[in-house]
Amino acid sequence: MLLLLPAGIAGVFVLWGFRPLALVGALLWRYRWTNLTFVFLIAISVGIGVGLIAQERGLRKGTARAAEKFDLIVAAPGSEITMMFAAVYLQPSDVPLLSGEVFDELYNHDQVKLAAPIAFGDSYKDAPVVGTTSDFATHLAGRLAGGRLFETSTEAIAGSAVDLSLGDRFVPAHGVGDTAEADAHEGHELEIVGKLPPTGSPWDRAILVPVESVWEVHGLVNGHAPERSGQLGPPFDPDFFPGTPAILVHAEELWANYALRSEFTRDDTMAFFPGAVLAQLHSLMGDVRQIMSVMAVLTQVLVTAGVLTGLIVLSRLFARRLALLRALGAPARFVFAVVWAYAATLILVGSLAGLAVGWVAVGIISSVVTARTDILVTASLSWPEFHLIAAFVSLTVLLALLPAFMAMSRNIITDLRA
Amino acid sequence: MSLPLRVNALSVSAPSGRVLLTCEHFAAAPGETIGLRGPSGAGKSTFLYAIAGLQPKMTGSVDWGGCDLARLGDGERARFRRENIGLIFQDFLLFEELSALGNATLATAFNKTGKRRSIRKTAERFLEKLGVPAERRTVDSFSGGERQRTAIARALAHDPAVILADEPTASLDRATADALITDLTDLARVEKKTFIAVSHDLHLLERMDRVVDITDGRLTMEASPA
Repeated sequence: MLLLLPAGIAGVFVLWGFRPLALVGALLWRYRWTNLTFVFLIAISVGIGVGLIAQERGLRKGTARAAEKFDLIVAAPGSEITMMFAAVYLQPSDVPLLSGEVFDELYNHDQVKLAAPIAFGDSYKDAPVVGTTSDFATHLAGRLAGGRLFETSTEAIAGSAVDLSLGDRFVPAHGVGDTAEADAHEGHELEIVGKLPPTGSPWDRAILVPVESVWEVHGLVNGHAPERSGQLGPPFDPDFFPGTPAILVHAEELWANYALRSEFTRDDTMAFFPGAVLAQLHSLMGDVRQIMSVMAVLTQVLVTAGVLTGLIVLSRLFARRLALLRALGAPARFVFAVVWAYAATLILVGSLAGLAVGWVAVGIISSVVTARTDILVTASLSWPEFHLIAAFVSLTVLLALLPAFMAMSRNIITDLRA
Repeated sequence: MSLPLRVNALSVSAPSGRVLLTCEHFAAAPGETIGLRGPSGAGKSTFLYAIAGLQPKMTGSVDWGGCDLARLGDGERARFRRENIGLIFQDFLLFEELSALGNATLATAFNKTGKRRSIRKTAERFLEKLGVPAERRTVDSFSGGERQRTAIARALAHDPAVILADEPTASLDRATADALITDLTDLARVEKKTFIAVSHDLHLLERMDRVVDITDGRLTMEASPA
């Protein structure tokens, strides 16, 4: 409301004592197609501005939500960002593997409640196939939406967005995307026995399989000594542990995460909080957002300046009628009020339409982003967008004083005879 | 309200400084009807706009009952017109998107609250008297006669002492123009308004109390009715 105050004060000051609305309505109707064009231009520029800002915030919240189950990731030394994208957002990447000793150390650590391998690299159609443990599936999504957790190395759980139902069978391809080899793991058929509920993360389109299954289809030992080869899940035998690209660690206590990060940040391992890495990225995005906000406002002001210039030209078209008002005895301030109210109406209607455009655009773009990234983006218009629009309205209705002033200072006789 | 007009040593200039009109002396008594005639470009409309206080550059005096418009600023002139002068134009100058009543009550938009009701009542009275449909229909569908009568109702709605008309019958056919002349002159007499009209229309001029000729930017003679 404070941001709208300048517009409100200008309105009260300009319109005080007059009733120009019928006249303004008549003029707006007379030039309705031109006015609709002006409103359209303002609406699009405002819509783009608020849409961009809302979308950026929605994306930020969506990525944060998708990462919130990943307290601490331990991986081989390298790029935290690459590993975060690979382990949290399931973006394919070739990374070094961690040894069984590291997993064992984490699994047996006093402060660790859950240590789960995350072994990616295979896929089925567009769905990444991730080797892990049933405890990880429970940690990620809670109760299953259907079926049960895997109990053998030929069973799998499908993410909510995977086009596989309970009882469906599939053979994972080696690799991901166009280069995946579909028949590399021929003969290693897996059955879907459980279905995860939606998580709003890329894991919705993943297929979770026992990590033993991933090792087995690659012709490796399955993490357990031969005498316990039928076991599924930890503890694993370090001597028979082929390696895993990443390990998710969930500590008993929040503070322990920090201790674990310090402890496992060393020559052979890298430990990081995906949330912290994401915060750094968001911080960078925050700077971009500020630039985007300024650019959005600038675009809106430029469009409005164009519209106001158009209004100056348009006001020449109805200059004769304005001159008539002056001839009938209307004070110059009344003509000023008519032109200002005309412009302010276009700006207000355009801004409100822009709000609607922004709302629709945000909905559409969110759906597209969600479909493409599987990160649930639920962007909606909020106070920052309303603030932006309020500031825009205030600034531009003040700019609208200019054409009003120009209309007021025209020669009455010249216009009457035009 | 009685408003005698006395014009003395009036000189009207264009923004460039060129003198458009001079008038040594001109007078109009309250309730008098006067025609202004002369060739095109002689300065008739310039004189009309000068006595309406619309000419930005004029010297001398245009005294309406003690109020010299030549000495007033724009705002005070506008107030004088708002209270005392009704203007009628050749091509009506109506707001096409408004009804007859909307046009006739235009002045309510910029007059004080207390005056708005009386303007509306007077406008309704004149529209009825002139036979103009005051319903919601917009004036863009009106005939020429209906449009000009709407313009007359607008000029009279604030009950001015003076009516100034610039070629009020020029855009009308003969029959409509004659009806309008009757309406205008009768109204001026019944309502005791000073009525000054620029016109080439002999039918209008012959109904005036007197006619003034304007030639080459000078009021050259005061004549009897045409």
